Amino acid sequence: MRYHFAMDDDDVALRNLTYRQFVELGHAPTVHDIAAVTGATPDDVWASWRRLHDDHALVLQSHTREIRMANPFSAVPTAYRVFADDRWWYANCAWDAFGVCAALHVDGRIEASCADCGDPITVHVRDERPDDEGLLFHCVVPAGRWWDDIVFT
Amino acid sequence: MNLFRSEGHIGRWLGSRASGATISVTKLCELAHAWWGNRIEPNWRPRTREQNQAILNGLGLTDAFWDLSAADPHP
Repeated sequence: MRYHFAMDDDDVALRNLTYRQFVELGHAPTVHDIAAVTGATPDDVWASWRRLHDDHALVLQSHTREIRMANPFSAVPTAYRVFADDRWWYANCAWDAFGVCAALHVDGRIEASCADCGDPITVHVRDERPDDEGLLFHCVVPAGRWWDDIVFT
Repeated sequence: MNLFRSEGHIGRWLGSRASGATISVTKLCELAHAWWGNRIEPNWRPRTREQNQAILNGLGLTDAFWDLSAADPHP
């Protein structure tokens, strides 16, 4: 796992702007969205996003110039939907679903399903606690290998 | 990183695959708030591995499964 001691201040600032835009728009911004806000060129935004991707500060699509994950938010539809702050969000996994409420500092409702039987699961988060405490979370990949393949993780 | 109704459902889903780590959804929610709570703060800075490990350890996630340094070629 690479860690971020060398992350450039300008890249961090662009990352923070990208996250802010994600939350304001309700979906992932494009390189053109960020270029328009910053005055940078789309190529410059993309180059910064590439460095942030390499530092695990966000995750890019492998074949297009688009964001795949701005954890805990997902830029693509997933099995983990969260209604929070008067809007629906996609999360990358169960951990991130709770993370959406955490990042936004709001209560929320998570809509998912049991990965085994497919039965719908609805969990309300109120005051940072789930209302169904009988559910379980299982993680297959050990922590030291989460970023080997973050999409699989 | 999935949700399940019970241990039985996890076992059935895993089949012959090796098991990972299971925690309650209550613990998961605590972890999510500790981990992601600062994610959209305007002055967000990346955490070090040690800071991330401290979050896990602070929630009692201390066994080898939760060791962020394992297999880390860039400490």
